[in-house]
Parts: sequence; structure tokens; C-alpha cells
Amino acid sequence: MVDWAGWALFGVVATVLLTCIMIAAQMTGLTRLDLPLLLGTIVTPDPDRARVAGFFIHLVMGQVYALGYALVFAVLHRATWWLGAILGLLHVTIALTALVPLLAGVSPRIASYRAGPGSRAVLEPPGLLGLNYGLRTPAATVAAHLVYGIALGLLLTPG
Amino acid sequence: MTATVADMDDITPIEQYGLIGDTRTAALVAPDGAIDWLCVPSFDGEPVFASLVGGTGGGRFRLGPAGAATVVARRYRPESATLETVWDCAGGRLTLTDGMVAEVAGRLLPTTMLVRRLRATGAPIGITLHFEPRFGEGRRWPRTEQRGELLFCGWRRLALSVQTTPALAIEPGRPVTAVVSPDRPLTTVVCFAEGEPLVHAPPTAAWDALEADEARWRQWCREITEDVPRRTAVVRSLLTLRLLTYSPTGAPVAAPTTSLPEQLGGVRNWDYRYAWPRDASIGIGAFLGVGKNNEAHRFMAWLLNATRLDRPRLPVLFNLHGRRPHPDHRVDGWPGYAHSPPVRTGNDAANQRQLDGYGWVLDAAWLLTEAGCPLYAETWRAMAGFADTVASQWRETDAGIWEVRGGEKHHLHSKLMAWLALDRALRIAAGRRTAPRRTGRWRQQRDAIAADIRARGFDRDLGSYTRSYGSRDLDAALLILPLLGIEPADSRRIEGTIKAIRRLLGAGGPLLYRYPPGDDGLPGAESAFIACSFWLVQALARTGQRGEALSLFDELVDLGGPLGLYPEEIDPVSHRGLGNFPQALSHATLVQAALALRDAYRPDPAHR
Repeated sequence: MVDWAGWALFGVVATVLLTCIMIAAQMTGLTRLDLPLLLGTIVTPDPDRARVAGFFIHLVMGQVYALGYALVFAVLHRATWWLGAILGLLHVTIALTALVPLLAGVSPRIASYRAGPGSRAVLEPPGLLGLNYGLRTPAATVAAHLVYGIALGLLLTPG
Repeated sequence: MTATVADMDDITPIEQYGLIGDTRTAALVAPDGAIDWLCVPSFDGEPVFASLVGGTGGGRFRLGPAGAATVVARRYRPESATLETVWDCAGGRLTLTDGMVAEVAGRLLPTTMLVRRLRATGAPIGITLHFEPRFGEGRRWPRTEQRGELLFCGWRRLALSVQTTPALAIEPGRPVTAVVSPDRPLTTVVCFAEGEPLVHAPPTAAWDALEADEARWRQWCREITEDVPRRTAVVRSLLTLRLLTYSPTGAPVAAPTTSLPEQLGGVRNWDYRYAWPRDASIGIGAFLGVGKNNEAHRFMAWLLNATRLDRPRLPVLFNLHGRRPHPDHRVDGWPGYAHSPPVRTGNDAANQRQLDGYGWVLDAAWLLTEAGCPLYAETWRAMAGFADTVASQWRETDAGIWEVRGGEKHHLHSKLMAWLALDRALRIAAGRRTAPRRTGRWRQQRDAIAADIRARGFDRDLGSYTRSYGSRDLDAALLILPLLGIEPADSRRIEGTIKAIRRLLGAGGPLLYRYPPGDDGLPGAESAFIACSFWLVQALARTGQRGEALSLFDELVDLGGPLGLYPEEIDPVSHRGLGNFPQALSHATLVQAALALRDAYRPDPAHR
């Protein structure tokens, strides 16, 4: 049985934690990856407004992913910090190798490596593992997702 | 052994190369039809054709007449990036058309595609095709495989295919001869893929894509304002600047080449396949001035993205993805252009401290604001941070705009640009809500810089501002003085500085040395620096000497040759090009000079 109440509440908590770590990583110069900005520029070109919109888009996405965690915990009848961490590693692997590079295909404002003179996209492509946004981007992103997974592992019940 | 100008008959002069590109990478085409330089998949990628600096084993792709022939014309098709070379051969003419397809988004085309077509007129003409791709620093031969009509060449991550219509049996490193008849041109396409599946485009489809691209470039050029002097040269410069802007990130590369020497046999061989914030900022002014606001915005967006990790410090240069360039590295065994080693990759200037960059960037932000393009809050936060940095660091020494390796000094140009940074920050702040304490500090420091410059940077005997505090040398970068507003453009100090620079740094005609030749901590000397000549045109136009400014501008435009491309420097005696080619700064300052002339000739000049 999925922990629906836990998912509704702690999905938000874990996503906010993840977002805060990514913002802190950016503010301390570890990475230029700015997930709210990347997501928000799908709907607006103004960076400040985009961050607000992107924050909420990311919140919804975090909630969707948290459902996956809750389902795995329910299937395994187990919710622990280390299981959350393993799922977090799986999650970040997919995010860095597939989701982030694919953003260029979704957002009209993220350029691709094939961009030409007609491109109106002004955000550079993140590249594999987001390395275009700084060499420490993968480390910061892994840390944030580990915290996300561990938080869900500790806070959700196995059902 | 190093070639001198006298024995360079068998070496293609730098300025005779033509540039073709796709805004991700670029190739240089010699008058004999050889592509002597191409890195893939980006400007700073590994070279596939590098005989320009890599010697006979560096790789090249020659397509041209088999027998004796004379080049009778070299030109770009009007307002396009497509290059044409015409030879007079026995009995007829042969025209080579070269281009790269820039717009591939949304279509199943290779990211990098080189298209070449030979057309004969008057009579059938014998041609030769010599395809020799050699990859990377090791100049490695490819593994090859004939796949139907196309030849596949592969290295580890890189693959390419080459095909011609009508079909020729191509073998890397071995010249192939054929006859091109007037009714049937020979079309060649080379498709590249790095770390992705190779997409092959048949020659006819590639040619169609190139023609569609050409139409887009013409449309792009038509959007450029009509009211600039020598518009053809201005359009060519803007098109070159756009070709040198890496579209995936918006980074403007200083030049697509590395290690073309500033002096034959000298040591001033640098890798320019990087992006300098200064160039982006000058480019913003150039594009805004001709109505190309989108390009100006892209440069500012690149500046914001690239500097995010380092703010409020402004690094000197970045690679195409906003990262720090590799340190200088000498490529073993590469002879260099005209046997002028070393060939370098990477750039140590990234470790220098240069204060002038802040001034260029804040001036560009002000120009955007003035043009009615309001800065986003994030952009203003970044600019204000830069102004804070200048306010606290302007008293320190730096390497200066010329990236001198001989130690830091109090360069006057850097102080001027520090003043400019704070002045422009104050102008922008006047239209926004900014803490009075912050603007008060900027104002106080701006005025302190002006007083310091007047007290320590002017030599009464010379009647001129000097290169650095305590020095009696001059610096042609000071020609920007009348553009800033730190003192009236018609002041005696500015007039004296312009005159002294022309007298003491003049290299004949419109040419200027940037500083006393060789006075930069490195052995040897160098040639006239083109951007300084265009700054002179601007200075004269802004100080009421518009007739002379126009005359010098005309002379400089004529120095650009039939293709209108400029290297970094010109030998004052032979007028041969030196340094990396073509250089973005030369072209951006050409446009700025044309804009200054336009303003000077308006009934009511719109001074900044």
C-alpha cells in the first residue's frame, strides 16, 4: 500500500531540499546548473520570472518522482535511508545522462549543438552530465539527489 | 629554418585565405583550392585539415585545376558565406564554390557538412582532387572503407564520409584526376560526426542545403542598416563576426585559428579559438549599431552564462562552453605557418588579471539600455557586481589589454576602462532602483580614477597620455579616449595624445603599432595592429576630423583585399597579413569605425 499522505507531504519536502542544495551549489560557485531557470525558460524569457515558474515546475516533477520512490518502497515493503540513497543514485543517473541533455529538445530557449544562425535560443546546451555548466556539476547534482532519496527513505513508510 | 617575407613564394599569404563556416566551426580555403584548416565539430575541436600550421602531413583537401591555371577572381557570392574561386585554365574557366551548411536544425543533416562544387565553362577542364584527412595532434591517418559510392573514414570518436557526383574513386592521400565538362559540374560533400551516428547527405541534397543557407544569409544581410559608409565591407565584417560566433552557446571566438605568427620566426604564436568578454562587448556595440539587436542580446546572454561561476570577478577569456581554457601547450613536431613554430593549443592569458574587461562589458550593458533593451534584473545584478569589483580593485596593477607577459603595471588604458565601468554603471543605475550608498561609492571611485589618470598618466613633455604610470611610452589603445567622455573630446590633452600616437606609433599610411614594437617582454618585434587603426578612425571622427577619418577608413578597407577579411596585424612594408585569421576584433572595430563615421556625417551627430 503506497503511503499517499507521506508522498503528498514529504515529496514536497524532499524536492525543496534538493532545490536548495542545487541553489547553494550554484551560489558557492560549484556549478552553473540552474534547474529552475532551465525549466522556467520554457514558459518565459525573463530569468527572474523563469526561476519562479521553474521552481514550481520542478516541484511538480519532484512530486512525480517521489511517487516512483513510494511505489518501490511499497513493492519492497521496505523504506530505509540506504534504499532511498540507491534510488537517488538511479534517479540522478537518469537525470544527468538523459533528462538534462534532452531539455534542449523541449525548451525553445536552450540551444542544441546543431544550433545555427537562425537559433533564438540563448541558453547554452547542458551537455552530457551537465558538464558544460561546470566540471563539478555532476558531483553537486549527485549530492542533491542522494539527499532527496535519503529524505524520502527516512520519511516515507513502506506501506 | 624560418621563412622570410622574401622567400614565401610557395606559402599562401595569410590574408589570401577565404573563410567558410557554419557558426560552429570554420575552414580556411587557399587560392589553389586547398582547405588547409578545419577543426571539428567546433572551432576548438581537433583539426582534420591542418597543413596551415601542421606542415605537409597536417592534412588538406585540395580541389582545383590539374594543370597550370591562374586565379582570376576570388569573391564571396553577394551577402553570403559562400566562397568562389575562379581559375583561367587552358581553353576555359573553372569555378570552385565552397561553403558549409549552417542551418541544420530540424532536418536529418549532419551537424558539420562541407560542400564543394567545381564548374567548368568554355571547355572541359582537367581537375585534381586530393583528399587527405589527418586527425588531431598526432596527424593520424583514418581507417577507411569504401561503402558504395562514398568513402568512409573513421577515427575513434570521429567519422566522416566523402562522396562526389559524378562518382570518383577517392583514396586518402592520393590525388585523383578527372575531367569536368561544362554541362556537368562535380559536386563533393564531406559529412562529419563526432560521438554520434554519421548522417550522410548525397551531394545534390547537400548542394540544395547550401543554396538554402545562402538565401538565409542574404536575408540576414538585408536586415543590416543601409546608412553606413562602405557598406559592403561592413556587411562582410558583420557576417564574419557571426560566422565566428559559436551558435550553441553564443560564444564569439577571437579567431578560428591557432598559432598564425604575429612575426615570422617569432614567438608570438597564440591560440585564439577562445572567447574574450571584451570581444563580445565590442560586438554588442557593432551589432546594435546596425540594427542587429538579436545578435547583441545573444552576446550579453553568453556573458551572463559564462561568468556565472566567477562573478563578480570577470575572467579574461573562456572556452566555447564558459570553462577555463587549457594552459599553453606546444604541439610537438608541427612546423608552424611558414616554418614559424611553436604551434600552441590552450592560452595562458586566462591566468592574467586584466581590469579593462569590466569597462567593455559595462559599456555594452549601457549601450543595450540606451538602445531601449532593458536589462533583466539578473543582468543588472551581474553588472553591479562587476562595478563593485572595479571600485575596489582599480588601484591595482594588471596585465593590460595587450596581455603583456612581462609583468603587471599600472596600465593607463585599464584605468580608463575602470573609469568607464563605473561611469556606465552610474548611468544605468540612474534608471533603476539602486542603493544610494552603492552608487555613491561608484561615483566617488569614478572621480578618484579620473583625478589619478590626470595626475599620473599625462606626460607634459610629450603632451600626451602614456602607456602606464611613470612610463614615456605610448599605447594606441588610448585612442578610445575621445569615445569615453572622461574629458571633452576636443580637449588639448586628447588632441595631443592622438597626435603623439600617430607620430610615434605610426607604421605608414593608416597603420599603427599598438605599442613600441617589441616592448612587451618577449623577444622579437611585431607588425601594425589593425584594430588600433580603426580606433584611430573613430577618434578622428569623434574629434571633428571626419574628412581625414573617412580617407583613412577607405585606405584600411582597401587593405582588406578582395575578400574583405582581416588578420590581427599587417606587415607595414609588404602589407601581408600576420597573426590569427580572420580576427573578430579587427572586424568589430571596422564596424565601430564605420558607425562613428556615420554619426560624424549626420546633420546632428548622435554622440554617445
